[in-house]
Amino acid sequence: MKKIGIIIDEYHLKYKVDEFLKYLNSKADVKIYIEESFLLNSSEHRFNEDIFFVKAKGDLILSLVKLIEEESTIPVINSYKGTYLSINRYLNSITLKTAGLPVPEFSLNPKDFDPPFNDYIIKNIIDQDNYAFSPVIIKESEYTRVADKRALDEVNGIKNYGYFYYQKFIDSEWEYKLYGIGEEILCYKQLPVLFNPNKIESRRKIPENKELIEYAYKVMEVMNLKLTSMDFLQSKDNHFYLTDVNCTPNFNYIKNGHKIVADFLLNEIKN
Amino acid sequence: MKIGILSKRTRMLTEKIKLCLENKGHQVTIFTLKDLIINENLLNNDFYILKSKSLFFIYAGYFLEANNISVVPNPRISYSQKNRVHSNFLMKKIGFLRPNIFMGTQKTLREKLETEDFPLILKPIMGSGSRGVKKINSLHELPANNNEILYLENFVEGIHYNVYFIENYICTLIKPPLSNEHVPMDRIETPKDIEDIIKKWRFYHKDNSLFGHFDIVRENNSSKLYCVDVGSFPEFSGINPQVEGFYPAEIISNLILRQIGKI
Repeated sequence: MKKIGIIIDEYHLKYKVDEFLKYLNSKADVKIYIEESFLLNSSEHRFNEDIFFVKAKGDLILSLVKLIEEESTIPVINSYKGTYLSINRYLNSITLKTAGLPVPEFSLNPKDFDPPFNDYIIKNIIDQDNYAFSPVIIKESEYTRVADKRALDEVNGIKNYGYFYYQKFIDSEWEYKLYGIGEEILCYKQLPVLFNPNKIESRRKIPENKELIEYAYKVMEVMNLKLTSMDFLQSKDNHFYLTDVNCTPNFNYIKNGHKIVADFLLNEIKN
Repeated sequence: MKIGILSKRTRMLTEKIKLCLENKGHQVTIFTLKDLIINENLLNNDFYILKSKSLFFIYAGYFLEANNISVVPNPRISYSQKNRVHSNFLMKKIGFLRPNIFMGTQKTLREKLETEDFPLILKPIMGSGSRGVKKINSLHELPANNNEILYLENFVEGIHYNVYFIENYICTLIKPPLSNEHVPMDRIETPKDIEDIIKKWRFYHKDNSLFGHFDIVRENNSSKLYCVDVGSFPEFSGINPQVEGFYPAEIISNLILRQIGKI
């Protein structure tokens, strides 16, 4: 039986991977590494897994992934680079823009300075913790200005950054959600979560969109991600903009998502 | 040329470098965290000096490089020195001995560390130098912080060296354990094995490590050298210009200008 290591935190283990683990346990020998109870010791790292699957993004998780990549040839999904870039919003904006992907305008400013555009969303700079997007509408003039509560918390206390990451607001009828699982891309659309918090209610599968799929493949290549979800918005003049990349997508929203992901991992071992 | 300096401070070495560059006819602006806005406005300068390794200065460095503006020292190398996990693997890759690392929550560390693992040094994952660094002698001294991940390194008992290098020049000083470069230190002749470490480091980075510093410990029992920290842009405050016969700011300014000329 093939050996699969699951690198995870308590939150994801408790709420996100029940079905996935049940299915995977019937197919492989699964060992679970939990961030909150794992001791990383740089002198002890004898891994015998055939593959690792990462379902969290905390500091210990990142370090463990780095350790595995540096000290072994075992594939890790997602890679250190992919995970690290995904959680560092500013770095991935630069990386994606440099690679020619359509990201909305962005700016990193000290908290007392305005960004160079009127309509914007303030997002957290490092997206590492487990909590959902929590929008705060800033009522100010005729512009659309929104802040993610997490970003405000980062600046005003928890992290004490003193900086805001601004992303230009794209007014879009739909939010396009693409899941990348290896070579397979699944396309959905839903009402933007900003105005419709119950995102699943409006979500529907859409026919393959060549432009979006091309962007998705490029994101995965540039960021070295094999398993991801990406959010796109479409402006009034019909241009798509990539607004978010997630390295630990919730595949429970996909029909048979747990099986698709588990089979993908088993297939990666064969390859 | 129009030169930007990304620096926490406007005084000390930053101020001296600014003066040196201005004396050569360049126009120099210092950007601190109070006024650094990372967007197209930064592209008005010809190149930047990354004096400090605060996250936002490094972000600015990445942004500038993505827009074809040169940054010295290289932001990627500076980042890999600021992130202690990266720094550890980088030094191991080059072939340096490193203290053992432990990471975990306080609860995990209390449950799984053995008495003989102590003393340990608690360090911030993102950081350099002695800020936030604390010696932990036993389990009881571990800070209580719920599920926050703690980063610890074995404390190596031995002689602690602060080693500066500027191109081929190396200055080795003995310092008290866990101290920064601003405390009184004793200048010694650089031992051959320390010189070899600096040569290896510079060879690995080729033209991208013109100057910097290392914290190195010679273990009492084995006399082996452990590299415990590395920095890309120290203040060089342990260098006495009267003794060494030069001012670090002058030499560093010239090196940076030469590097920019090459780029």
